[in-house]
Amino acid sequence: MIKIEKRNDVPMALYFFTPFIAIILTILGGGIIFYILGFNPIEALKFYFITPISNLYGFSELLLKATPLCLIAIGLSFCFKSNNWNIGAEGQLTFGAIVGGGVALLFYNQEGFYILPLVIVAGAIGGMIFALIPAILKTYFNTNEILVSLMLVYVSKLLLDYLVVGPWSNPEGFNFPETRQFSDSSRMPLLFEGLRIHAGIFLALAAVMLSWFILYKTYLGFQIKVSGLSLKTAKYAGFKGKTMILVVFMISGACAGLAGVGEITGPIGQLHRMISPDYGFTAIIVAFLGRLNPFGIIFASLVVALTYLGAETAQIFLQIPKYTGQVFQGMILFFLLASDYLLFFKVKILNLKKNELRH
Amino acid sequence: MTTDLRISNVSKIYPGCIANDNVSLQFKSGKIYALLGENGAGKSTLVKILSGVVSPDNGEVFLNEKNLKLSSPLDAKKNKIGMVFQHFNLFETLSVFENLSIDATEDNESLRVRVNEILKKYNFSIDLDVPVLNLSAGQKQKVEIIRCLLRSPKVLIMDEPTSVLTEQETEELFISLKKFCDEGILIIYITHKLKEVLSLCDEVAVMRKGKVVSVSQTQNERVETLANKMVGQKLAKIKKKINISKNKDEIFKVKHLNFYSDDPFETNLVNLNFSVKRGECLGIAGISGNGQNELFQILSGEIITPDTSIIFRNKEIAKLNPKQRREYLMAFSPEDRISQAAVPELKIYENVALNNFKSSNFFEKGLVNEKKIKEHSKKILSDFSVNTDNVELKSQFLSGGNLQKLILGRELITAPELLICYNPTWGLDVGAINYIHETLIKINNQEKSTILISTDTEELLKLSDRIAVIYKGKLSKIMPSEEVTPEKLGVLMGGGSID
Repeated sequence: MIKIEKRNDVPMALYFFTPFIAIILTILGGGIIFYILGFNPIEALKFYFITPISNLYGFSELLLKATPLCLIAIGLSFCFKSNNWNIGAEGQLTFGAIVGGGVALLFYNQEGFYILPLVIVAGAIGGMIFALIPAILKTYFNTNEILVSLMLVYVSKLLLDYLVVGPWSNPEGFNFPETRQFSDSSRMPLLFEGLRIHAGIFLALAAVMLSWFILYKTYLGFQIKVSGLSLKTAKYAGFKGKTMILVVFMISGACAGLAGVGEITGPIGQLHRMISPDYGFTAIIVAFLGRLNPFGIIFASLVVALTYLGAETAQIFLQIPKYTGQVFQGMILFFLLASDYLLFFKVKILNLKKNELRH
Repeated sequence: MTTDLRISNVSKIYPGCIANDNVSLQFKSGKIYALLGENGAGKSTLVKILSGVVSPDNGEVFLNEKNLKLSSPLDAKKNKIGMVFQHFNLFETLSVFENLSIDATEDNESLRVRVNEILKKYNFSIDLDVPVLNLSAGQKQKVEIIRCLLRSPKVLIMDEPTSVLTEQETEELFISLKKFCDEGILIIYITHKLKEVLSLCDEVAVMRKGKVVSVSQTQNERVETLANKMVGQKLAKIKKKINISKNKDEIFKVKHLNFYSDDPFETNLVNLNFSVKRGECLGIAGISGNGQNELFQILSGEIITPDTSIIFRNKEIAKLNPKQRREYLMAFSPEDRISQAAVPELKIYENVALNNFKSSNFFEKGLVNEKKIKEHSKKILSDFSVNTDNVELKSQFLSGGNLQKLILGRELITAPELLICYNPTWGLDVGAINYIHETLIKINNQEKSTILISTDTEELLKLSDRIAVIYKGKLSKIMPSEEVTPEKLGVLMGGGSID
């Protein structure tokens, strides 16, 4: 018989170490999958995890992909830490991009230093408003935020679809489902000539610093921490539960909106259907892999970004679909949850024979 | 065939408490037996031993002179001991029949035939294909009983079965139980309700502090005699207090406190009215589950009830949340010190910061003032003799007594005018209990008031100036504690009346 017991004391060091175990297991698991598919596993893993970042361009692509993941995960950490399950960051990203992109399109034939800040702020507000929908429904009507936020993802994607084929489509675009190109003043400044990495990375770093400050140094952070550990205690202490739900969703939505705006004003430069390869969903994995810790999230976003790049390289060199990236992301989450389970619980195998003798 | 169940010298010791102390009892079929006792008297442990959930440290259980070695609930089932717990073990979304078929050993058709026979025989009207969540509490209990009957039990143990039932359902239950008894099933009925013992049972065993203190025929008992046995002769009240003069002003006044809940495991409160004078301790006695949880949460502001008026120091505070109430100098010490009053994963100083009262400056302009919180925590640790001075320690490493001292310290450091505490010494050792009792008396002597909600009658008699009893969400009249005897308390706690 197997008996599962809660461990009384989990060492903090081990708690922060298990993500590494999960990553190692993911790489091993990936190797096995490649082997089964008939590839040389070492070779394949090299294409996956080393080739993509073996030159400067690849490294800049890594940072480019890590930027939205990091931003969104930082926002999500506020929700997750306080027991609010915002699953709809992808929707908040999309809506942020729609609002920010709308402002950028207003100025499509104008230049000016003020345009980019306007676009960025509009994107953040867009994400915030979209995140407020599940938050308000949760606080005032007791709906489940997981379902509402998830369903809103599809609402926002269909809205984007409608806009790029309908009212916002480029009049000179031969009916392609895309808007006009944004003017240069709506574009994130590039950091280096010839690389795609842009100033959005500073937004992500600022979010990391700010979130660390809020979570560990302010009353709001304290309330988030207590509510996450025990809602009963939060109630007893008299924290304003409703206000807090609204605030964490607003922070989370704003971060996702910023990520959306960063994408369309950065590498993309216009609105079209595919503005995000599910960054909003993948960021959930990033947030947990980073232990909901701001600095952990930086590290986790780099690791997960690498799975995006690796999948693209593997598609080119090994002719395997780039969706293997999702397989790797899934494996990371799986191994993380599994090692967490073993970290918090111990599995005892009881001696059956002894029990049987008693009967 | 008669059934004979014998418990012989059973003992069970938990760390810090003797739950069963050399318990010996004998039961014979054809009678209904009551097992009576206060919270913590050891009834539940004994029942858990009989149903195989807990193994005794010492002693044996015999069924028809066969030594039962019960090491799991399955063993109890095999030996035809059936058990209906206070909280139902049913899958709410499955139908009644699906619930019954889960642990059945026969095929569905013959099971349905047998279930229908039972329904007919005992006049139960339950639709077998309805999801359990649509049933009333009484019907759910019947499903549990049917589940036991399907195994043709020799012994049926009912644990506080009427706590969730209406009067009507209670009557129906009693009729069924008497029928089972006539058919030769041995029934053990666990309760703290005295009237039920007298109206239903033939014999009653009273437990107190892990021991069986009396076994008698119910026909020789009255509510008063049973109450006396249940509560016991308590120590004479220690008069340590400065007497309250009769004309002190009332600082806390509750009017029309009503609470209605849809949850059958919560208790509705019906029109509670009471007041507390300056420097007074108002005790609220009662067996747990009679509305104390709900009352505490309403007094602390965790639950806001409409139409209730709570006046504190001449201000209406009924709509304020706990934090706002604290600002008016109220303080709260809940029963659940491990998961409500404190968070085990938080460090001591973080737990202290939970009482972020106005002048504390713990959070200035929204920022954490760690230095201030830590200084403050150090002071609490030394003032309330908590056995550590390390404010960085996670509070899960504190013993129950030390944790309670920390919580009381945190609540009292604001010099509140009124402290509301709920079972403040529950599960603590004697040293910690004494310390906390002394602290509570000290507060009263400093002209501060307390409301003590407690299931421990000894504690109430020792500390309270006036005592009321809460039973099924209703409050008895409030009595000066000089006029209260343990016997009176016992009668009121068991649902009797004393006039």
